[in-house]
Amino acid sequence: MRRRSFKREMAALDDVFEFTSEFAGAHDLGERMSFVMNLAVEELFTNIVKCHRGGGAEVAVQLEISGDNLVVKIIEYDAEHFDVTRAIPVDVDKPLAERRVGGLGLHLVRSLVDEIAYDYKDRTASITLVKRLEGPDVQHHDRGRR
Amino acid sequence: MFNITIADDGEVRLSGRFDATQVERARGELNRIVSSCTVNFEELDYISSAGLGLLLGAQKRLLDSGAKLKLVGLNRHIREVFQIAGFDQVFEIE
Repeated sequence: MRRRSFKREMAALDDVFEFTSEFAGAHDLGERMSFVMNLAVEELFTNIVKCHRGGGAEVAVQLEISGDNLVVKIIEYDAEHFDVTRAIPVDVDKPLAERRVGGLGLHLVRSLVDEIAYDYKDRTASITLVKRLEGPDVQHHDRGRR
Repeated sequence: MFNITIADDGEVRLSGRFDATQVERARGELNRIVSSCTVNFEELDYISSAGLGLLLGAQKRLLDSGAKLKLVGLNRHIREVFQIAGFDQVFEIE
């Protein structure tokens, strides 16, 4: 399990990607798994930066391989309550003129991961994502356990 | 590293990682487009909703004047993201 904290600012995103890239390399994650992990972490991290301005506390990103799952946890300290699992769904079938970008990031995350959970306690918000490893990723980790 | 260039023939070429830190730079280039053109994704590895939003905005603006963007060379991960977002209904994707 790896965990690192980042400043709550957009400029920290490069450091976040460096962290996810190191993790992907260390666990030999495949292209698609790395893509999904990066997208999920970026969307949730930038959502926190954009929506919860003013908070000085850092945001922690935790990455872990648990069994055949990639588990991503984003922990926001001094957070306002915002349950991402209850965000208003995006209607992706609307005509172009009515399309908006708001909420699209969470829609992508919810569509690409297998499980998403939200926990809020003592002004600390935790979002946990689970993505089952696929194809070569699973084979690699199966081999590793033998 | 992300890059966006507009070639002499008008083709827009994207490369690298199009994430939220690249929005302002990409917006500046996309705002230069005033007629129909092709956006080449062949060298683009990654895009998030930040990039999708800019492309959506550009497409809306161009359609108001009867022009549009055509997207080519999307890798399978980016193509999947476009499908999930419903953007395969908004853009011509080759």
